[in-house]
Amino acid sequence: MENIFLGFEKQFVRWGVIDWKAMAEAAKRQLAKVKLDIDPAMVTSKLSFAQRQLVELAKVLTLEERIDGDLVILLDEPTSVLAREEVELLFQLMRELTSRASFIFVSHRMDEVLELSDRVYVMKDGEVVDVVAHDEAQIDAIQHKMVGRDVDKEYYREQKQKPYDPSRILVRLDRVSAAGKYSGMSFDLHAGEVLCLVGTEGSGREAILRTIFGLERPTAGSVEVKGQPYGRANAQEAVARGVGYVPRERKVEGIVNGMNVYENMTLSQMGNYATAGVLRIGQEKALAEEWVERLSIKTPDVYKDCGGLSGGNQQKVVLAKWRSGGSDIILLDHPTRGLDIGAKEDVYDMVRELSDAGAGIVLVADTLEEAIGLSHTILVMKDGEFQKRFDGSPGDKPSLYDLVHHMI
Amino acid sequence: MSLEKLKPWFPWFTLLVLIVLVGLVNPAFFNPAGMVSLVADIVPLFIMALGMTFAIYIGGIDLSMQQVANLVTVMATVYLAQFGIFVAVICVAAGFGIGALSGWITTRQFVPSFVATLAMGFIALSGARFLSGERALSMNTAAREASFGWMFGNTAGVPHELVIAGVLLALAWFLQTRTTFGRALKAVGSGELAAVASGLKVDRIKILAFALSGTFAAIAGLMFSVKLSGGDANLANGFLILAIVAVLVGGTPLTGGVGGVMNTLVGTLIVVVIRSAMVYLEVDATMQQMIFGIILIAAIAMTIDRSKMRIVK
Repeated sequence: MENIFLGFEKQFVRWGVIDWKAMAEAAKRQLAKVKLDIDPAMVTSKLSFAQRQLVELAKVLTLEERIDGDLVILLDEPTSVLAREEVELLFQLMRELTSRASFIFVSHRMDEVLELSDRVYVMKDGEVVDVVAHDEAQIDAIQHKMVGRDVDKEYYREQKQKPYDPSRILVRLDRVSAAGKYSGMSFDLHAGEVLCLVGTEGSGREAILRTIFGLERPTAGSVEVKGQPYGRANAQEAVARGVGYVPRERKVEGIVNGMNVYENMTLSQMGNYATAGVLRIGQEKALAEEWVERLSIKTPDVYKDCGGLSGGNQQKVVLAKWRSGGSDIILLDHPTRGLDIGAKEDVYDMVRELSDAGAGIVLVADTLEEAIGLSHTILVMKDGEFQKRFDGSPGDKPSLYDLVHHMI
Repeated sequence: MSLEKLKPWFPWFTLLVLIVLVGLVNPAFFNPAGMVSLVADIVPLFIMALGMTFAIYIGGIDLSMQQVANLVTVMATVYLAQFGIFVAVICVAAGFGIGALSGWITTRQFVPSFVATLAMGFIALSGARFLSGERALSMNTAAREASFGWMFGNTAGVPHELVIAGVLLALAWFLQTRTTFGRALKAVGSGELAAVASGLKVDRIKILAFALSGTFAAIAGLMFSVKLSGGDANLANGFLILAIVAVLVGGTPLTGGVGGVMNTLVGTLIVVVIRSAMVYLEVDATMQQMIFGIILIAAIAMTIDRSKMRIVK
């Protein structure tokens, strides 16, 4: 009840003291609207996720009484944690309220969108690509719109894609689950393979990468890296076995803002450049200069603070860090996010080079085109569960539509 | 030269301006012998500030240092007769242990370092009170001369305290700039998440950083106790705020990652100059703490990297 009336306690205040009984009564009335029968004094952290969602909804519905006139209610993926009946209840409430409220509803579930909305705005890459009225809306058409243009094969270096080596397994996941993130994932990553995890935001793709890197401990199943299962997985062990991680938050997790180019490049492998803990800084600089040259990293010198480099060059530093350290399992989380086209192409080139050299790559791509263009294997996920596997040899790639169809 | 490039030199300018100002008011300040003795006097404070640098460099703080130093003055005084020079080993080990424990509490029990070290400080204080029987103790003069006489005195006009300070500074500087540990400290201080994502053993690095600050606190306490030839659970009181001011004024912000031990050298000198100026201007002793309190707040407000701090509690 404190949640429901947060910021609006005034109505229950007498002589500067909150009348908890009156608030509990009012809260009960609100909870009844969403057919949630719980003690209003219960702490929300003890509720299930679905119940919490309903409490949030009850909170929003206090608007009904508090405000006269028209309401605008924004719902961002309100159904993602709800069960079927609860979704029905929510929709029913929404329909009842449409007499005085307008809703903006964001969802990745197509059926819900079509069932509920009067108008559908289809968005792609931050732009509205189409507006359809309820009666004209069709799942197929919308999905095609979301997908957009055809893919330029050149762009993703498809001609450079070579088959991987199915006899060498680098990473094996066997029915791995992480509570609340994903469940029952199994796959093998082979040498030279680019394996792409595809799904909507929150489908559990990133959590799988973090599991392989030892940052997220699985709650069930086993992860094997190069034939050896992880014991108590941690990032040090992953790095020691040749796993490299290129995180999505480049500026926060990828590079150390405030450290220079060579310091960043050797950060994961300082042991190789030190004798009894004393760094051989000359060698570090030589290594950095070599890789600055090789990847044409644009920086005045190796003393430049990485925080001051452009996004593409920061990403190159991160990649150089893992490649120069000999990592042969590379986890890429949105490696091209926020990069300009030229820098993106550089990243694609690097992906190809790495896979040619026999490294296994797990990719969470920024766009579906990228996923299709770059990968040998595509695993589609939805709400933390595996949906379908596609093979993507050059010339025989799945279409965007195939993927979207299983994602939502 | 852009402002950004000038920023690291700011503490040096401050020091220079202060020296000139104080010198103008009090020309006697420039007397070399006076300056040397002034600086030699604050060596224990400088050593404590060096240790504090490690804790602040990783974005934490060590509020237990003063109490660790207090405890060590008592330990050194009580056990000197029994162990001779090896009492130093016991003292340093105690400082290391207390610091490491603070670090463990911070990283493994998720207690913020300011609370963890504050609590450890009170534990150390209790230890000091218990061990001293709440009395001011004096060292056995003969044993003090035999074991630690070398700490004080002059060689060719240079006080030995300054040599000790120089050696410790060189060591700390080497550790910070030339070793994998120093590099890891920097990574943890300026981008802990990236350090984790690079596979560094972040917890261990943090624990070691606090162990180091504890060690330096113990060395400071030992020197102080030998200098005053005694031990007392309140002997080092007043050092903590000066050490923190020295680190921050020197240019190592509370958010960590930049600055370092050389900055602390400058910061400590600034503190000395301010203190001697206050003495000359006959600022009341009770006011001095207040002034350093104000300087501390101003220094934090000026040096903090606001882009790194979204929520302050």
